Order: sequence, then C-alpha cells, then structure tokens
Amino acid sequence: MAADVHKKSGDVLNGSLFPDDGQHAERSESPTPGLAQGTEPGAGQEGAMFVHAQSYEDLTSTDNPDATLQMPGDGEDVQADQTMIEEISKDFSELSTQLTGIALDLEEEIRQSKEDKLELSPQASRRDSVLSGKEEEDVAMDAWRMHQKHVFVLSEAGKPVYSRYGSEEALSSTMGVMMALVSFVEAQENAIRSIHADGYKVVFVRRSPLVLVAVAQTRQSEQEIAQELLYIYYQILSLLTWTQLNRIFQQKQNYDLRRLLAGSERITDNLLDLMARDPSFLMGAARCLPMASGVREIVSTCLQQAKAKSLVFAILLSNNQLVSLVRKKDQFLHPIDLHLLFNLISSSSSFREGEAWTPICLPKFNSSSFFSAHISYLEQDTDLCLLLISTDREDFFTVSDCKRRFQERLKKRGVYHALLEALHTPFYSVSKVGIPYLRHFIYKSKSSGLFTSPEIEAPYITEEEKERLLGLYQYLHSRAHNSSRPLTNIYYTGSHENLLAWVTNAFELYMCFSPLGTKAAAVNAAHKLMRWIRKEEDWLFILTPQTY
Amino acid sequence: MSGQRVDAKVVMLGKEYVGKTSLVERYVHNRFLVGPYQNTIGAAFVAKVMPVGGRTVTLGIWDTAGSERYEAMSRIYYRGAKAAIVCYDLTDSSSFQRAKFWVNELQNFEENCRIYLCGTKSDLLDDDRRKRGIDFHDVQDYADDIKAELFETSSKTGQNVDELFKKVAEDYVQFTSFQEMTEEKGVDLSQKNTPTYFYSCCHH
Ligand SMILES: Nc1nc2c(ncn2[C@@H]2O[C@H](COP(=O)(O)OP(=O)(O)OP(=O)(O)O)[C@@H](O)[C@H]2O)c(=O)[nH]1
Ligand SMILES: [Mg+2]
Repeated sequence: MAADVHKKSGDVLNGSLFPDDGQHAERSESPTPGLAQGTEPGAGQEGAMFVHAQSYEDLTSTDNPDATLQMPGDGEDVQADQTMIEEISKDFSELSTQLTGIALDLEEEIRQSKEDKLELSPQASRRDSVLSGKEEEDVAMDAWRMHQKHVFVLSEAGKPVYSRYGSEEALSSTMGVMMALVSFVEAQENAIRSIHADGYKVVFVRRSPLVLVAVAQTRQSEQEIAQELLYIYYQILSLLTWTQLNRIFQQKQNYDLRRLLAGSERITDNLLDLMARDPSFLMGAARCLPMASGVREIVSTCLQQAKAKSLVFAILLSNNQLVSLVRKKDQFLHPIDLHLLFNLISSSSSFREGEAWTPICLPKFNSSSFFSAHISYLEQDTDLCLLLISTDREDFFTVSDCKRRFQERLKKRGVYHALLEALHTPFYSVSKVGIPYLRHFIYKSKSSGLFTSPEIEAPYITEEEKERLLGLYQYLHSRAHNSSRPLTNIYYTGSHENLLAWVTNAFELYMCFSPLGTKAAAVNAAHKLMRWIRKEEDWLFILTPQTY
Repeated sequence: MSGQRVDAKVVMLGKEYVGKTSLVERYVHNRFLVGPYQNTIGAAFVAKVMPVGGRTVTLGIWDTAGSERYEAMSRIYYRGAKAAIVCYDLTDSSSFQRAKFWVNELQNFEENCRIYLCGTKSDLLDDDRRKRGIDFHDVQDYADDIKAELFETSSKTGQNVDELFKKVAEDYVQFTSFQEMTEEKGVDLSQKNTPTYFYSCCHH
C-alpha cells in the first residue's frame, strides 16, 4: 500500500527548523520565513503576471479530496470491491506487459523495489552496472520509463483516445480490461480514484467525456499523478476546446476522437516527457531565463511597444524559459496555460520555418474558445521564440507586423546582441552561491509565479539521475502540500543526498545537499541562500513586468 | 517577411502527410528535409518573391495543416486566395478523395481562386510504377472537368516544383493584367497621353 514509503527516519516535521517571527510588510534585507507574500525575493514590483495558482488547485477546487481512495468501498461492499480490485490489478499487470512489448520481469522489479523501499529508483543503479553502449541505454531508458508510468486516455464509451507507449493495435486488444476499468470509475464525475496494488498506483481522473488513467510505479502521490493527467486533459482541450469536445460526444457517444487528434500525439508525448524532467510543472510556475536586468527591461519595453489592439499576451521564451511576458492590463495568464504553450512550442520543429498562425485554446483562461497564436523564431538558428496571442483570427498581418516592429526596436535600442548573449548562459552554476555541500536548489516566489534553479550538475548526469532528483523534489513537494497535513519544513536524509524543503505562503524552497552535510548546516545554508537570492533577484527574476 | 507587400495569396491544401510543407520547403529554400515527419500546426505563412516576365510578384503562401482538426477554420486561410495548390499523394488514393473535398470547398466559397492539382512524391513511382494509387488519366479528366492545371512533383528530387510555382505566378500576372484591362473604367481626362479619338469627331 502506498503509505508504506512515507515514514522515513530522517524526516523532521513542522516547527522545529525555523522560527516564525511574524509578518514583514517591507521588502526585507534578510529574508525570513515570516515574509509576507509580495515581499519575498523574486516578487514582482508591480504585481503578478499570472493567475495565482496553488498547487493542485484543480483537484481541490472541483474535486472532493476525499474521493481519493486508498481502497474503494466501505461497509457492506468491501468484499466485492476487494475481489474486483484484485482482478483489475492482475489484468493490469498483463496489460502492461502486453503494451510494453518488452519482457522485463515485473515481479522482479516489484520485489526489488520492496526490498529497497527507501531508494527512489532502485532500478537505476542496477541497470547502470549492466548496460553499456548508447543504443542499449536508450532502449533500457524507454523500458524504464514505461515501467515508471503508463498513461491512457479513453472516451467514456471506452474508445481509445491516446496511449503512451504501445501501438494502437496493442491497445485495442486490451479493450476488455479498459472497459472494466472504465466501469469501475463510472461512479463519480470529476473524482480521482486510485488503486494501489503490486507496487503500482493506478490513478483515474474522469473529466467527462474523457477518462484518463495512469499506471505508475513512481513515488508520486495520487494527487501529483492526477495533476499530470489533468495536464493531459488540458492539452487535449487546448487543441479542441471544451465546448467542441463535449459537442462531439453529445452528438455521437462512441466517436473516435483519434481522428481529430491525429498528429497531436507528439505534443502529448512531449508533455509527459517534460513533466518527468522539468520542475516547472511541479512548481506550478515558470522558469526565468537569467539576464541582466537592464537588458531585460529594454527587451520588455520593446515588446510592450510593439502592440496591437487584438493582442492579449506577448511572450518571449527560450527553451522553455521565460525571457519576457507582456499582458493586457487586467488579463492574467494561468501557469498551466503557459506550460501548455511552452510544451506546444518545444514539441515541434515546424515553427522554425516561416510564421505559424494557429488556433489555440487556453483552457484555464477560457475553455470554450480559441485564441490565435502567432509563433515564430526571431532568427532561424537562435533559440528565441516569440509568441503573440491575439483575439482576432483575421489579424495575422497586423500581429506579424508587431513582430517586425519588435525586432526593429531591439536592434535600434542595441540590446539584440546582449539578448543573444544571455541565451548562451541559460543556467548558472550552483557554485556561484558559495555554499559547501549544496548541489542544487529550486526557489519559487509565489507572488510572481516564477522560480529559479541552477544547472543540474554532477552527480546528476544521466537522464535517470536527473529524473531521480526531480523525483526527490516531487516527494518533498507532495509531503509539504499534503492536503490533510501540510508541512512547512522537511529535512530528508537519504544515502545519496540530503534534502531540505521550506514552504511558506510567500515562497517555496527545495535544496539538495551532499549526504555529508548536517541538518544544522542545511538550515544555515537555507538562510544564506535566501540572502543570495535577494541580492541577485534582479537578474534571476522578472521584477518589472509590463502591460499593454 | 512581414511588412512586405504580398501580391498574390496562395494556399496549400490537402490531406495530412501528402507533402505540402515539403513542397513549400523545396520551393522556398530549395531543400528537402529528412527526419521524422513534423505535421504542421494550424498554418504557416511564408512570402517569396518571383521574377515573372520583367517584373516581380510576391507570393504569400499559406501552408495549412492537413489534420481534420483545423478543417472548420480552414476558410480563414483560403479566403481571398488567388491560387490554391491542392495536393494529393500519388501513392495514396484516399488523399485524392480528400483533394476532391477541397476542390468542392473552393468551388463553393472561393470561385475566383484558381486551382492547381498537385500529385506529390513522384519519386516513389520511379522505383515502382505499381505504387501509383490512382490512375493518371482519371486525374487528368477530373482536372479538365474542374478547369484545373495538373502537376506531378517530387519535393525530394525537386522534379517539377519550380515549374508549378512559376505557373502559379505567371497565371497571376496574366490574369491580373487581363483584369486591369477589363476593369478599366471610362476615359481618364487627366491623363495627357490618352488618345482622344472620340473628341476629334462629332458631338461638339
Ligand atoms: N519520397 C518522398 N517523400 C516525401 C515527399 N514530400 C514529402 N515527403 C514525406 O512525406 C511526409 C509528409 O510530408 P509533409 O510535407 O510534412 O506533409 P504535409 O502535407 O505538410 O503534412 P501536414 O502538415 O500534416 O498536413 C514527410 O515524411 C516527408 O519527408 C516527396 O516528394 N518524396
Ligand atoms: Mg505540413
């Protein structure tokens, strides 16, 4: 059962780490846990760019959190449900082997992870020692991923809509199991349900007319997995709108949605990959590209000046990092919508040519209609992508002209070069902070919805190691945001590293130390890091966002 | 490319995967990109200047996505187009059915748009004639019926690609000059060189 992994000797719970010395109204020199929201390092001076989003907002606002079931059924039905679950989980093991098509021994994996309960990813080290050669690594990596998490989307009528890994033929041959699962979740609209069995978590999210299912071996909580499924759901909405999706299924219950989604699998695959390695999703925030504040300010001004009546948002980004964002006054972007846009851009090289003009729904902004997005790279071989979101689909040439004017201004004001320069150093090294034993950290300013994080360096070299680190952050994050018992401070000791989490209503900080450090040193380091971030916030964050 | 005057709007239409993007890529950059297929999202705009008979014509090309998802919005891409290059894959007969759908669409909503039928990936037929998915004469008859030009191209080898766009540009020039002539309204008195036959005889 899921709760087993949670009790960890090294966890230090609330209250003991940091004193709470009340609320500070001013931007303080030496940040403390009592910082009020809006005064923490990285907080924008003129308010936020984003809708303020709590993690899991979607789950807790529309869903009853009690609907997360460890084991469904209480009272008289227990017996029946138990057997049903056993059957389902047995079928599911079969299903997973069928779908992967790779005969790794599941039982072996499961036994292994039971023995090494405290390791987040026991498979990793084992395989490293076995495999060599790039190709084998790729295959192994895929296999490993498949074991970590499957994702399926089906219609309520049981028709396949999307499947991560595994061909459609394989998927349709297992429709029987799918139908059983669907009937199992039939009960409640918008509920999250989960089954825990055999080292798997099977999580269902039902968003009529779709059902989303994840089969995961990760240590993520149900909420986190459900959050990822919701992202997939929103991804589908961004292509179709909620209105269209519902209309289609109202007209024809057993419609095959794959027809309409053809060609978008790549976008969804990319989203799942991104969520496994980019902390933006976990943080519910955008990562800023570090840049001299003077340069950023001029860039933002140029972007702001190249306006048009129909423009709502203008976003300049580089490799999923935010460079600048201008928004219409009173219009806020939701981080989920921003992530979907980032994902769309990173999933396709087709935007490198010409200028794209595409309908896109921002489901958190308005799930019933399309915006028109103008997507283009400033120059073909640079990683600077400009995204202009317009309300008028007939306005292509006007919006296209905004891009031209923006580029002209950049050159006239002489910052184009400095901007390109900043792209060469998209990450800073953690050694810049000068804290011994500190390997990595994530700091999020809640009021700005932005976070900063140094480059991931040794020993987290391989993709697996990187994902393992993210897995650790995920674990701390879920503990900190546990809906029944949220924690402010957590200190976690593991055999490979120690971690510290510090979550207040103004910021979230996650730090990763070498296992040689002590708790006392980690607490000191947190304060030191906060001072460093305050000192460096100018270039780490976007402090003066612009509006139209 | 923006800010530049576009003379003629040209729209690429056709089922997904038939090779619209590759055709534009070959024409604009004279290259054929290998690598995984990247379906177009929405549509992509690119402008290209063509020399035609002593003048230049700027074609504004809309490369639309073939996915059915965008079908409902396709009008914004072809509205006002002077030419439509309706593509089908020479090896895939279902793509020809889809081409007919686009032709109907254009005939109903955009009657002034000239239609160019384009069978793509002709290089695939070079290896094996039997791969042809639809009879050439059937297509030719259809093209005659709808008064469309017919081309068979390969973006991989470049075969016939420039010829296709050249024809589009030339037709545009010819058509617009013809249109200018027929649209000429009366005599402009301010124009000094206008011959004044009518004045010299009668009526005064
Ligand atoms: N052999 C051969 N392959 C081609 C040719 N043209 C395109 N292809 C291949 O066909 C596939 C689809 O080409 P695209 O140009 O992306 O197709 P599209 O019509 O733009 O597709 P959508 O954007 O989804 O509507 C790609 O894998 C191309 O490499 C050709 O002339 N010869
Ligand atoms: Mg294309």
